[in-house]
Amino acid sequence: MLYREAGQFKTTYAADQQLFPIRQDRIGVLVLLAVAFFGVPLLASEYWFSAILIPFLIFALAALGLNILTGYAGQLSLGSAAFMAVGAYAAYNFQLRVEGIPLLVSFICAGLTAAGVGILFGLPSLRIKGFYLAVATLAAQFFIVWCLTKFPWLSNNSSSGVISTQKLIIFGHELNTPVEKYLLVLSIVVFMALAAKNMVRSTTGRAWMAVRDMDVAASVIGIRLMPTKLLAFAISSFYCGVAGALYAFCYLGSVEPDGFSLEMSFKILFMIIIGGVGSIMGSFLGAAFILLLPIFLDVALPFFAELFGLPFSSATVSHIQITVFGALIMFFLIVEPHGLARLWQIAKEKLRLWPFPH
Amino acid sequence: MSKKIGDVILDLQNISLRFGGVKALTDISFNVKQHEIRAIIGPNGAGKSSMLNVINGVYHPQEGKIFWHGNERKKMEPHMAAQQNIARTFQNIALFKGMSVLDNIMTGRITKMKANFIEHALWFGRARKEELEHRKKVEEVIDFLEIQHIRKTPVGRLPYGLQKRVELGRALAAEPSMLLLDEPMAGMNVEEKQDMCRFILDVNDQFGTTIVLIEHDMGVVMDISDRVVVLDYGKKIGDGVPDEVKNNEDVIKAYLGAGH
Repeated sequence: MLYREAGQFKTTYAADQQLFPIRQDRIGVLVLLAVAFFGVPLLASEYWFSAILIPFLIFALAALGLNILTGYAGQLSLGSAAFMAVGAYAAYNFQLRVEGIPLLVSFICAGLTAAGVGILFGLPSLRIKGFYLAVATLAAQFFIVWCLTKFPWLSNNSSSGVISTQKLIIFGHELNTPVEKYLLVLSIVVFMALAAKNMVRSTTGRAWMAVRDMDVAASVIGIRLMPTKLLAFAISSFYCGVAGALYAFCYLGSVEPDGFSLEMSFKILFMIIIGGVGSIMGSFLGAAFILLLPIFLDVALPFFAELFGLPFSSATVSHIQITVFGALIMFFLIVEPHGLARLWQIAKEKLRLWPFPH
Repeated sequence: MSKKIGDVILDLQNISLRFGGVKALTDISFNVKQHEIRAIIGPNGAGKSSMLNVINGVYHPQEGKIFWHGNERKKMEPHMAAQQNIARTFQNIALFKGMSVLDNIMTGRITKMKANFIEHALWFGRARKEELEHRKKVEEVIDFLEIQHIRKTPVGRLPYGLQKRVELGRALAAEPSMLLLDEPMAGMNVEEKQDMCRFILDVNDQFGTTIVLIEHDMGVVMDISDRVVVLDYGKKIGDGVPDEVKNNEDVIKAYLGAGH
């Protein structure tokens, strides 16, 4: 009853094509942003910022990047973590080697560097599709990590390629507290999510989806496959690159090449599968789910074990975590291949009628 | 039918197309005049769809020349056909399944939209203006095809007949000067066929679009087309107005079978 668009008449195409055409959605998003920007900094503790909220936002951004490539443009990739690594190391090197470069500019340059590398590894997509392409992007994953370990110049000659990021200085102000870092990450993520939403609802996004759904028809309509696919690779890698830079600068503070492992790429892939392939919101839902589930199980399992008087060890927790994780991924692949975002959509359709049966 | 059929706009001369050792088309010549409805018919495997693919650049014939508005066409890619205002529909529906009807038809106008991805991302400059302008055009197509009620529906959920209509809409949105239709009425019931015929005739009449169509329903072909080309085993066996073709010995043999 609350979620009803009755009475909201659109009299112009502009009104019909706005970002959130339903008034309740608009209010909801504004409330959410207000809470994120003003409510959370007042309420959350330091642990929440540095262990949950900041990594959530960063992984949501990386998942968004992969979703642009895989969900919208239909090109499967297993190299997301590698592109994050490129972003992290590029931002570090720009800060290190370019005198007086502002932090935000070095983040943008990091994104652009990752985009360039992304285009390079996207070239095989012009000839190969599906699983074979995934194997080709796997090459990116191993090659980039190898490169960062092999060439000490990239990590300023530190042992085993570990880098410690420079200070976070924005407009002459140094960011020290987790709250400040959180607000920086949040602003960047919100801006980039908005940009992604705009891209996918316009010609750029339609061209990607056309290539994804039926490439022969797309080319007959006048879409040039090569630039469209490479653009998807570039933008996706840009998003992953910025996420990587934030991961190094705002989350960990010091990273090593092996940290950006294949496992991390898979984690990002699971985020979009569970969250929703081809959905901006799905990237956020998936990231939240995958990051929060282990924390939830950590807390919940001992509690239940005690409740039923079962023997219990921390090894059991991690085993159960992995089991539940795998089971959930299978569950989603079978029951709802479109992920949490689709469940949310179904809920919205139901809510339009609720509580009346028809 | 009194129509002003114009000059030859597409002239195919001695087209041969091979896939390895398989000859799909052998030495085929025919032309298409402005504003006419030109049908290509023939038994299964005669090379009809290959012929359309040659016209819009998906296949490249090994021999033969193609003249488009009097100029010889060199090597071309499919997207160049779109730029030359040739649109087409496919035998097996080739819609973008994950997108709504509206978005599908909007993609038909993609060559006419100039804004780049940065403008789209930041939603400034040409991006916003274009989106509204082209939406207006697309709505005209939606009105024309009488599919207003499904504009926001994902095409995957639509019944077959409506999907065919949406595909026609996507082709029309490009405002083509030539429209290639590959079996637009396959698998339709009588009512849907009548609707489709009406749309094809209206497009031809109101927009002056030249139409090349492949169709198996002989009643429809003989009724609506101005000239018919008949293919069999990749060779041309008949060409002319419907009545001529109907009485052509070779055509009757190809369709009814003859002792070889």
